[in-house]
Amino acid sequence: MTADAATRAGDASGPVLTATRRTSQMRIVLGLARAEAPLLFRSVLVLAGMLAGGVLVWNLTRSAEPLWWNTAWQIGEGQAILASTVLIAAQLAAGRARRDGLGELYDSFPVSAATRTAAHLTSLIGAAAVSVLFIGGAAAWVQIRGGVGTPSAGVLVGGVLLVVAAGAAGIALGARLPHPLAGVLAAVVVFALFLESYRFPGAIPWLFPWTISGQFGALYAPLTNYPPGGAHALELAGIAIGIAAIAIALTSDRAPHRLWLAVAGVLSVALVATGVAAQLRPIPTTELNRLFRAEARPSVVQHCTTASDVRYCLYPGFASQLSALEKPVNNVISRLPARPAHALTVAQAMLVSPGDSLLTHGHGRQQLARWNAEANAAPANAPAASTIYLIVGIWPAGAALADARLAVALGAAEWAVNLPPSAIGFASSGASCVPDDQAREAIAIWLAITATHVHTALQLRVGPHGTLGGPTSEVGHKMIFNWTYPGEFQGYISSGPQLTANGYLLAAKMAALPAAKVARVLDSAWPTWLNWRTTDAQLARALGIRAPDITVPAPPKKPRPGVTFVEPTGPIPVTPICAS
Amino acid sequence: MIARHVVRTTPWVTLIAGCLTGTALLAAAAYAAATQHWALNQDAVRLAFLPVIAALAFVPRDPFRPMAQTAPTSAWLTSAGQILLTLPVVAVTCLAQLRLMDYTIARLSRGTTAHAPAIYPLIAQLAGWCALTLAAAACCDRSRYANLTGAVAGPVSFVIFALARYAPRIDRLFDAPPGTAHAVTAAWYIVAATATALLVAALRDRWQRYARKLRLVSRPR
Repeated sequence: MTADAATRAGDASGPVLTATRRTSQMRIVLGLARAEAPLLFRSVLVLAGMLAGGVLVWNLTRSAEPLWWNTAWQIGEGQAILASTVLIAAQLAAGRARRDGLGELYDSFPVSAATRTAAHLTSLIGAAAVSVLFIGGAAAWVQIRGGVGTPSAGVLVGGVLLVVAAGAAGIALGARLPHPLAGVLAAVVVFALFLESYRFPGAIPWLFPWTISGQFGALYAPLTNYPPGGAHALELAGIAIGIAAIAIALTSDRAPHRLWLAVAGVLSVALVATGVAAQLRPIPTTELNRLFRAEARPSVVQHCTTASDVRYCLYPGFASQLSALEKPVNNVISRLPARPAHALTVAQAMLVSPGDSLLTHGHGRQQLARWNAEANAAPANAPAASTIYLIVGIWPAGAALADARLAVALGAAEWAVNLPPSAIGFASSGASCVPDDQAREAIAIWLAITATHVHTALQLRVGPHGTLGGPTSEVGHKMIFNWTYPGEFQGYISSGPQLTANGYLLAAKMAALPAAKVARVLDSAWPTWLNWRTTDAQLARALGIRAPDITVPAPPKKPRPGVTFVEPTGPIPVTPICAS
Repeated sequence: MIARHVVRTTPWVTLIAGCLTGTALLAAAAYAAATQHWALNQDAVRLAFLPVIAALAFVPRDPFRPMAQTAPTSAWLTSAGQILLTLPVVAVTCLAQLRLMDYTIARLSRGTTAHAPAIYPLIAQLAGWCALTLAAAACCDRSRYANLTGAVAGPVSFVIFALARYAPRIDRLFDAPPGTAHAVTAAWYIVAATATALLVAALRDRWQRYARKLRLVSRPR
């Protein structure tokens, strides 16, 4: 007598039989899952996905200082690749029997297809373990590099749920479509959804399985409900439960399962709806007010300290940057014969755009205009001769720190020799002057090089006929070669004037001289050297060296065969000389 | 008779599913691009071509190869015929995807003098990728892992393609920029020609997959 028949007949042994059957089924599910989970764990596909995801996370986090509210999402981006490969591996596992033509043999077993599907779903523990390992490795890497803040548990759990949901989708697919291509196509769809998610306006990107982090890295701290890690994890949990229920429904024809499937379906819909509603909710106005106020008036939230008469203002949580800033600045100051009248300030600045609809969706135009005005009024958008701004999210970690230190030293040296700054930020036109043939430029570069002991390379290249090539500026009626210092394009600090190749070459010659000799010459006529009319040649003569003079060769009057000269359609921008 | 066999054994469903999935994805992206005022780039076409490549990896598969080798006709005819039949389908898919990209670019740059980037390096890349996939699949089909042809050849060709585009230094040869369009096109056509030569060699290979095992069994003690 079967358990169902016993129950129907009112036999007292019915419930016992049903319970026994349920226990044995559970045992079978666990036994099968114990066999499948290790297969999934050491699947070449899954391990390759973990490797590829790791490469992506490394690539995303290797340059800038890791901020946990941004990096946690970037770890999730790596998990999106892992999820794609888990989907393929799970589909291959679930479709194995039918693909090998063993469907009839399996049907003859006392275990139903639904039980086998449940076992496959349970075996996703193997994939989840890989995902947890991935998170552990990535978190260790981030912490070693000095991660700022603390990771959000919701975001990290969301990454694991993404992998599990993808695995469940693979099993549901494999139950119906055993061909390996089905899994590959589904994985491509999942990956394409992830890649294109950021293109949609408002809060829609949150509805995708995972989205590419937008301005998270530009924030000085996470906001309430932004990034909405917990709500997204809830949505993914609902999707995982829903797909798992569909996978069992596709393979089950037993009435008792339907009740459980209905419960799972309702639970899935409830979780997804709750998660989606929470993610679509606009960020509270008070939170955004706080954010843009911190951008426009950083002093409200920043902690300032003073060392060697230099003021350092950093957002809370960024105190670890202080030592990396103090050393190059102090080294520059120690080499100065006299300090400028106005004190130096090194301050962090935030450049967050209210135009990002992921951040400001659901708010009115007037409110947006107000925030825009606040963002444009940020101090980093206005040139300040005595302040070096460091942009949140751009400061590097690891090997690139040397370049950042050089940039800070150069910023301090430019302040010391009165070179005017150039504006950065949204309101900036990007215009900067050129200290062409000015002794103070070479002195500033010499100060920075000797303060950081960085062996910089002149980023000029030799052209086909032995001529120099590279970036140039038009100053007055002549073209001059620029000097691009290492890390200049990364924008570690607010930019100064456009430095020239001649200035760098003279500074390099100065660095080759005994430091005491250079210091003596600078001490002897410091105010003269700071005058913008004092030339490179005068400084070189005082030091007993030859001033370099490389100029851009005039273009040929006639084009070579096969080359056409195109006349410029508008006026060519002429860079002003720094004359203050 | 052989033609009918070739047509019947060609994995049409797999191939068309791959082509349609990629094109449908790109069409959805093109629709979103048209409504949101952005344009598809060549990376979108490469991504949309991934399902086509995955499907192509299942094409050179002749389960009756050991038996066909005993027949008076050439054994490679079936696989070669399958490949020849699929090429027009792949070409039409490629054309449709390029048209979709072109449509979004033309729509966005209407009224301006902006030009779309040259597509001949992209066509060369896709041709080289197809040839690599077919060569990998044919090689796999002649090995003892013939049952895993598509599952192995697809990822192998994807990894080679990704390395060619993103590996430091190598990317100068196979991706524009940093390489020039002409050089990249030439490099990918060289890859395609080499892969085709490998494909022909693999198709003509007469090695019996189980021969070594059988020889071991039949060796007298």
